[in-house]
Amino acid sequence: MLGLFGTLNLASRSLQTQMTGIEVTGQNLANVNTTGYSRQTVQISASPDISTNIGPEGTGADATSIQQVVSSLLNNQIQSQNSTSGYWNSQQSALQSAQNGLDEFLNGSGATSSTSATSNSTTDTGLDGQLSALFNAFQSVATSPTSVSARQALVGQAQTVAASFNTINTQLNNTKDSLNSSLTTDVSSANQLLTQIATLNGQISTAQFSGGNANDLSDEREQDLQNLSQLTNVTTTSGTNGAVNVTIAGQTLVSGNTVSDTLQTYDPGNGNLLVQTANGQVNLTLTGGSMQGTIDARDGTLATLQNNVNTLANSLITQVNTVHSGGYSLTGTSGNNFFNGTDAGTMTVNQALVNDPSLVQASGSATASGDNTVALQLAQLATTDQAGLNNQTFNDSYDSSVADLGSALDTANTQVTDQTAVTNMLATQRGSVSGVNVDEEMTNMMTFQRAYEASAQLVTTVNTLLGDTLSMKNS
Amino acid sequence: MRVATNAYTDSMLNQFNYLASQQNTLQSQASSGLAVQAPSDNPVAMQNTLNDLASNATQQQYSANISTLQTRADSIDNVLQSLQSISSQASDIATSAGSATNSQANLNTYADQVNQLINQVVTAANTQDSANGQYLFGGTASSTPPYTTTTDANGNVTAVTYNGNSTVNQSQVGSNLMATVDIPGANTDTTGAHGLITDQQSGADFLNHLISLRNDLEAGDTTSISSTDTANLQKDENNISYQVANNGVQQTLLTTAATFATNSSQTLNTMISNSSGADLVNTMVKLNQAQTAYQAALESGSKIMSLSLLNYMPS
Repeated sequence: MLGLFGTLNLASRSLQTQMTGIEVTGQNLANVNTTGYSRQTVQISASPDISTNIGPEGTGADATSIQQVVSSLLNNQIQSQNSTSGYWNSQQSALQSAQNGLDEFLNGSGATSSTSATSNSTTDTGLDGQLSALFNAFQSVATSPTSVSARQALVGQAQTVAASFNTINTQLNNTKDSLNSSLTTDVSSANQLLTQIATLNGQISTAQFSGGNANDLSDEREQDLQNLSQLTNVTTTSGTNGAVNVTIAGQTLVSGNTVSDTLQTYDPGNGNLLVQTANGQVNLTLTGGSMQGTIDARDGTLATLQNNVNTLANSLITQVNTVHSGGYSLTGTSGNNFFNGTDAGTMTVNQALVNDPSLVQASGSATASGDNTVALQLAQLATTDQAGLNNQTFNDSYDSSVADLGSALDTANTQVTDQTAVTNMLATQRGSVSGVNVDEEMTNMMTFQRAYEASAQLVTTVNTLLGDTLSMKNS
Repeated sequence: MRVATNAYTDSMLNQFNYLASQQNTLQSQASSGLAVQAPSDNPVAMQNTLNDLASNATQQQYSANISTLQTRADSIDNVLQSLQSISSQASDIATSAGSATNSQANLNTYADQVNQLINQVVTAANTQDSANGQYLFGGTASSTPPYTTTTDANGNVTAVTYNGNSTVNQSQVGSNLMATVDIPGANTDTTGAHGLITDQQSGADFLNHLISLRNDLEAGDTTSISSTDTANLQKDENNISYQVANNGVQQTLLTTAATFATNSSQTLNTMISNSSGADLVNTMVKLNQAQTAYQAALESGSKIMSLSLLNYMPS
């Protein structure tokens, strides 16, 4: 038999047990808004019974452990999807930057019909319209070959085209530079996370080695792993005493509480940074995350776009100069180029023509300044398929590049939308397992509260009984 | 299924973001009239629209070319009308002077009139384009006066020199349509554009024929006047009539091309609208739907968020 003192002791331990329950509930409520927090539950077990001559008798209950409610499967899925999300988010960001750099948008003055918006005032903001205007300016000179004002307009339009090419080149180079910076920042963030994970591994191992649980540290580490998986595709394996080993692209970078290697960027020789291990200098082939998204966007769509724009500029410069140099100006001079430069970055209009538009060589005859043969040939370049542009016209080639970029960004936008839905769904699923529900916690709190009240009542009752017992002697 | 308390707020936030984004897109479409504004909105439609915009700009340039050519053709037509009048007067003089009954004094009077006609023809042949000061009848050598004259002591023209060439410019007025309204002052070849004053193909040589007439009048050679000068002047008149008719043909061609360019431009505008324009009714209906959904999300969210077990627990 427990006796009155044994029962008093049972009540005392019961109070402690219910108090632990209330403390855990309080911890859960306090962390209802903490990102990555996994709710905790207190495990209560009946205390070992004692044998009596009428059978085993219970000795109350004890709080045996505080456990996290987590799903490893969900956490692994979230990590995996984070890599995919990071990949497409960085692609989207890079391609949006490229699209802005190209500055090829449509403007409209608004709907003009009740049934459909007739965009008869639709204009485009970019190079496509500038190219059309250039060839139309050649047409104007061909129609009025001796008109100096038509030549001034032509030279002005040519300067606008050259400036547009220059601007696009600068913007795309800036985008490329910013992607390299972004990659460097990602690598730095990844190294910081690797260090944090190794440190947390050490703390968790120490706690578990001494028989405890490191629930909050595990949450923190899980959050770091999820952040890391947004940067690159991460493989994790379980180590000793609760540690997690981290492998990226086949290279183990965290082993227990040790960071065995870190990441760094390197220049393979073309200015486009890639990632390798810092100590082993092993070049990594990443398969996901924002790092690879950045690399793919930069070396894929952006590089192709830059190449196409440069090829277009070079072809335009070459073709116009070839025709123009064979013509004659109003003053009879010949042999001058119309454009200088070789690509989008270096393209300019011949300064001599800018200073004196009468030097535009529109005539096909040295003795007939009113001849328009060359101007007409230049204007008709607009509709001439260029071998260097896959047998497309200048405008068609540019429009294809615009559409290719748009298509790549459209794909990225769709993927980001889809991935957002997937990650939201996984977050909801994780929340349903590990998230804190205030109503549930309040119910738990009432449960523990009532149990605590009952145990307290037990103490009062035993106290009364002890008093009665003592009063028996006095009476 | 268990639902974490923050699942409500997270879900609401996602829904608000989605609906706000949708409203922003639809509002932008309604205000701009464009369903496609960036390449990523619809890459194929964007490409088609850019192609159509470039084609439209070309059509508008054709219209501008046509307008320039029409102005020039009108100027040329005015000169041709003058030359027709001069040619008619010269023929009348030749016919009248060809009679053997004319006295030399009469013939000299006629000669004075022909001298004036010669000067008028030279002036007409040296007409400049009011738009750019270029000479209309010098061929492509249009920056110098096409005709210079040699005069005698009395200031009468004894010879003319053509300084231009027989080349005329072609101008593009349609995708595969070229037009020319220019007329060279002289063409001594049997091919190419007919010359206005001198033309090998028709035998016209208006100024030299007038000079011959004047010389025959002064010499009293009525035989040559009636036999040669009259016939030559007829060739000149025929050539000018040809030029008038040809100018009319070119003007008709330009009018047709202008109509075609305008129609093409309108068609392209429709295609642009179809490719990238926003259907206003559809857009406004979708905008209303998005606004209603946004309102519903706000109301339902605020109701759910305001409730928990705490509302029913004793304080």
